[in-house]
Amino acid sequence: MSDEAEPKYYPVKLVWTGGKSGELTVEGKATIKTGVPSGGPEEAKFHSPEDLFVASATMCYMNGFVEFARKMRIEFKSFECDAVGTLDKVGRSFEVTKIDMKAKVVIDSEDIQKRIERALELAARYCFIANSMKCPVTHETDIVVE
Amino acid sequence: MIEMTDETHEYMVNVDWKHGKVGDLSIEGKPKVEFATPPEFDGPEGIISPEDLFVASAATCLMTTFVTFTKKIRFDFKSFSCEGHGTLERVDKGFQFTKLLLKARVVVESEDLKPKAERALELAGKYCLVSNSMKCPTEHENEVVVG
Repeated sequence: MSDEAEPKYYPVKLVWTGGKSGELTVEGKATIKTGVPSGGPEEAKFHSPEDLFVASATMCYMNGFVEFARKMRIEFKSFECDAVGTLDKVGRSFEVTKIDMKAKVVIDSEDIQKRIERALELAARYCFIANSMKCPVTHETDIVVE
Repeated sequence: MIEMTDETHEYMVNVDWKHGKVGDLSIEGKPKVEFATPPEFDGPEGIISPEDLFVASAATCLMTTFVTFTKKIRFDFKSFSCEGHGTLERVDKGFQFTKLLLKARVVVESEDLKPKAERALELAGKYCLVSNSMKCPTEHENEVVVG
């Protein structure tokens, strides 16, 4: 991580394509089509803003885990995380009020179980994105030796 | 998405690690999205990052909320685009998004629709549920043009 203390900027560009759908581009990266669940089959098959919001926190948790595992020099066979975000009425508007995550990590031997637990804990604590959200994020973890 | 009541909705996502700093995002019935740690945190180039999607979620929400208000106010627009700029900065214990700037541009057919489009953009900013779920302030720069 060079210039770690420097702020980082994330520009995105969204162009409306009809209904409530759009095309999202980040320079040099794959385009993502966006839609809404209420817009009929053509729009429901693409990611909604709520999907992207919940996904960003879940992806960030994985990235954090991978980074802490690397720093602690431990290897894992697989990592998977299911997350559920809850959208609820708050005052006159809606807000995502919680995100519940369930991570599963598969490892080779029991020896590293404690360190994997620690990496998961640190990933949850230092998740940039979850820390940028108002809502609480819960983490259930399951470490399997195979 | 599962609808529980009119006022509570759930969104389910799955992430699956592939290799290195790369994973797949899966949501039932939707295209898979490959993602990675961004290059500024030693990840590979050219792959969508969670940071990108965080900013994207607010920009897309502004758009869908804008479209909702255009229907309520009953007017048509020709195009909508939005640039989102998120700033991630080190705070006490790690990084956090400290600022979000959304620059929306709407094209309408005639001058008399401009105030309506401006109003719809203003309401969209106020009721955007995604930016209302974020800790950081969101700034808006709206531009409505006749074209």
